Amino acid sequence: MNSNIATLHSYLAVAAVLVGIGLVGFLSRRNMIVMFLSAETMLQGVSLSLVAWGRFHNDLGGQMLVLFIIALAAAEAAIALALVVTMFVRSGKLDIAAWQDLREADQPPFEEADLPPEPCDEPAAWPHLAPAGIEPSTSDEKENYRPKM
Amino acid sequence: MLLSIPFLLILVPALPLAAAVATAALGPRVLRQASHWPTVAAVALSSAASLLLVVAVRQEPEHERIVPLWSWAAVSGSNFHVDVVLRADPLTAVMLATVTFISLLVCVYSIGYMHGDRGYWRFFSYVALFVFSMTMLVSVSNFLLLYVFWEAVGLCSYLLIGFWYEKPAAAAAGLKAFLVNRIGDFGFALGVFLLWTTYGTLDFDAIFQRPALVGGGTTTAIALLLLAGACGKSAQFPLHVWLPDAMEGPTPVSALIHAATMVTAGVYLVARCTPLFLASPDARLVVAIIGGITALMAAIIAMTQTDLKRILAYSTISQLGYMFLGLGTGTLLGVAAAMFHLVTHAFFKALLFLGAGSVMHATGGVIDIEHLGALRRRMPTTHWTFLVGCLALAGIFPFAGFWSKDAILAAVAEKTHAGDVAWLYSALYWAGMLTVFLTAVYTFRAFFLTFYGRERLPREASQHVHESPWVMAGPLAILALGALVVGAYFQWSGDFLGRDGFLAQTPSLVALGEKEQGQLSAGETASDVTLLASGVAVAGIAVAALLYLSRPAWLQAVTALMTALGLYRLSKNKFYFDEIYRALVVGPLERLAAVFAWLDQHAVDALVDAVGAVPRAIGATLRPLQGGLVQFYALLMIVGVLAFLVAILL
Repeated sequence: MNSNIATLHSYLAVAAVLVGIGLVGFLSRRNMIVMFLSAETMLQGVSLSLVAWGRFHNDLGGQMLVLFIIALAAAEAAIALALVVTMFVRSGKLDIAAWQDLREADQPPFEEADLPPEPCDEPAAWPHLAPAGIEPSTSDEKENYRPKM
Repeated sequence: MLLSIPFLLILVPALPLAAAVATAALGPRVLRQASHWPTVAAVALSSAASLLLVVAVRQEPEHERIVPLWSWAAVSGSNFHVDVVLRADPLTAVMLATVTFISLLVCVYSIGYMHGDRGYWRFFSYVALFVFSMTMLVSVSNFLLLYVFWEAVGLCSYLLIGFWYEKPAAAAAGLKAFLVNRIGDFGFALGVFLLWTTYGTLDFDAIFQRPALVGGGTTTAIALLLLAGACGKSAQFPLHVWLPDAMEGPTPVSALIHAATMVTAGVYLVARCTPLFLASPDARLVVAIIGGITALMAAIIAMTQTDLKRILAYSTISQLGYMFLGLGTGTLLGVAAAMFHLVTHAFFKALLFLGAGSVMHATGGVIDIEHLGALRRRMPTTHWTFLVGCLALAGIFPFAGFWSKDAILAAVAEKTHAGDVAWLYSALYWAGMLTVFLTAVYTFRAFFLTFYGRERLPREASQHVHESPWVMAGPLAILALGALVVGAYFQWSGDFLGRDGFLAQTPSLVALGEKEQGQLSAGETASDVTLLASGVAVAGIAVAALLYLSRPAWLQAVTALMTALGLYRLSKNKFYFDEIYRALVVGPLERLAAVFAWLDQHAVDALVDAVGAVPRAIGATLRPLQGGLVQFYALLMIVGVLAFLVAILL
């Protein structure tokens, strides 16, 4: 079945938007898992584009390639997440900006400026409510143990 | 003849060369304090070979023997070819015999003088190299090789003057000698170039036997340029300033190079090029004028110097001036007398210098005659041999200098009778006479102040003012004997001055003999010249004895008179030549060099640094691309892809 070219354009537009979102996300987020997520989104956009083209040309080659892409994405996920976990164990953070040591010797590192403290005027003293009711009788053991979540 | 001329000709320079190489190779480790053996043996054998060569050349003096060795340079397509060719004719034989004999005596003397010196092997290596260069200089048969060995003796002179190179004065003196020589050599080189363009060949025989030598301006130019080279090497005015400073070198060096051999290379050059000077009367006149001026000027300067070696240095300059005066007359008598004076001067000047060295050896290096006195009691051999040398230098009968100096003056006197420049020659003749007087005065001034008077020993002598060992006194005695008899012997045998004498048979000089038919025969010296010169010399000695031995008050009066006339200061400051040269030549050159140094530092180096700075700048621009942020890298990748797409689509 030959699809309408306008429908193809819609599919391609969606795929492009997916790729764009993924691209922007990869470039602007600092969380390693979210960066990986964005990369995966880019892959999905490309897959959608491939399927749409396949449908347009009535060629199953597009879908075949997408199967390859999915398998590849899975393998890539394994490796990438292994890397992310190792880096998290090493540095204690999921921030990619913690890993800058491969820069040139005389380049300054990227240090985020601390956010200025938000101006909030706290009242000198919070209003104090008189306690009401009775305290329930609990023990530490009971509090710390939860039989079911 | 047991040994053939070619073999002897090659042996004479080859042995010292081998000795120089052997001493340089084996001296530092193997021979050490025995480093004199190769040089002394080689020079002794060379000396024997030179004497055999003289005997061999005597058999047939009018045919020079040419010994080609190998072809050095040949440019195909033009007729430029230079071969290493040696020649044996009377002039060469005389020079070789003199050079090697004096060198032998100086080498033996140096064994004692340089004993214990740290550079003992280096000294003998350099001396052997010098003997090789000098013997080759007088043996070669074309101008290019002559120039090569001219430079080689200049190099050896530099090495030997600056022998004690750690002494700044010695290093500076060596440099000065070499640079002033270079100025003369520049003229020499130009002369060689002019010879090539005029004659198309540089071979002696080809140039001197041309039936029609190119006359006029070209020949004068060539002759004057060659004279410039000779002035540099023989320390004539105005290139004489290096010789007194060269006294910083060891005394045997002064005796060998700056009295007897190297400085005579200029005289040899002019004598060899006699046909060229014959063809150019103007150049001859210039030679004579320069000789006369130098002789008088150096004698005036020597009157007030207090360093004995410097007195002897100025004396050398003055006597070389005499030789040039003789050469400038252009007569057979003049040229032959100049060569005769060269030989006798070698003997007595070497004797005087070695005597001064003997004094230095005894006084611990002090040679200032104001600090010495009455040394004759402690050093009798030195005293008597020095006396013989002084008498020979002053020209007293029958010592060697008498015969040769009077021959030169007779030759100059001949030229005062006729010709349009007779007045000039007359002036030169009286200048020569005055120089005889001054020579006697300053020579005996030095002699009396050193060996007579109140005994004064310098502090450096430290109680060991004693006579020199036999290895030093022996050569002194031999040279004294030579200074006594050499002149009389050669006068009797007519080897030099005879019209058919040995020297006159040299092919270049034969033309001279043919030119003068009805003039005074070269064998007879004019007796009135002889009487006048002897009288003047004896008067000079008497004046010196009077002023320096018996009447100090008169000495003060004379000094006051000379100071009032301004002559004393002029003489003491060497006519301010060094200061003039420094202001006119050295100063501007130093400023020019400073300008170029500034340019080199700020312009050329800046250019080179700029070339080096470009890659660094590019690197500095590209370095921030690697910042360590993963997202920045991803951004760059995307930018690259976009650029690629744009390039595809456009």
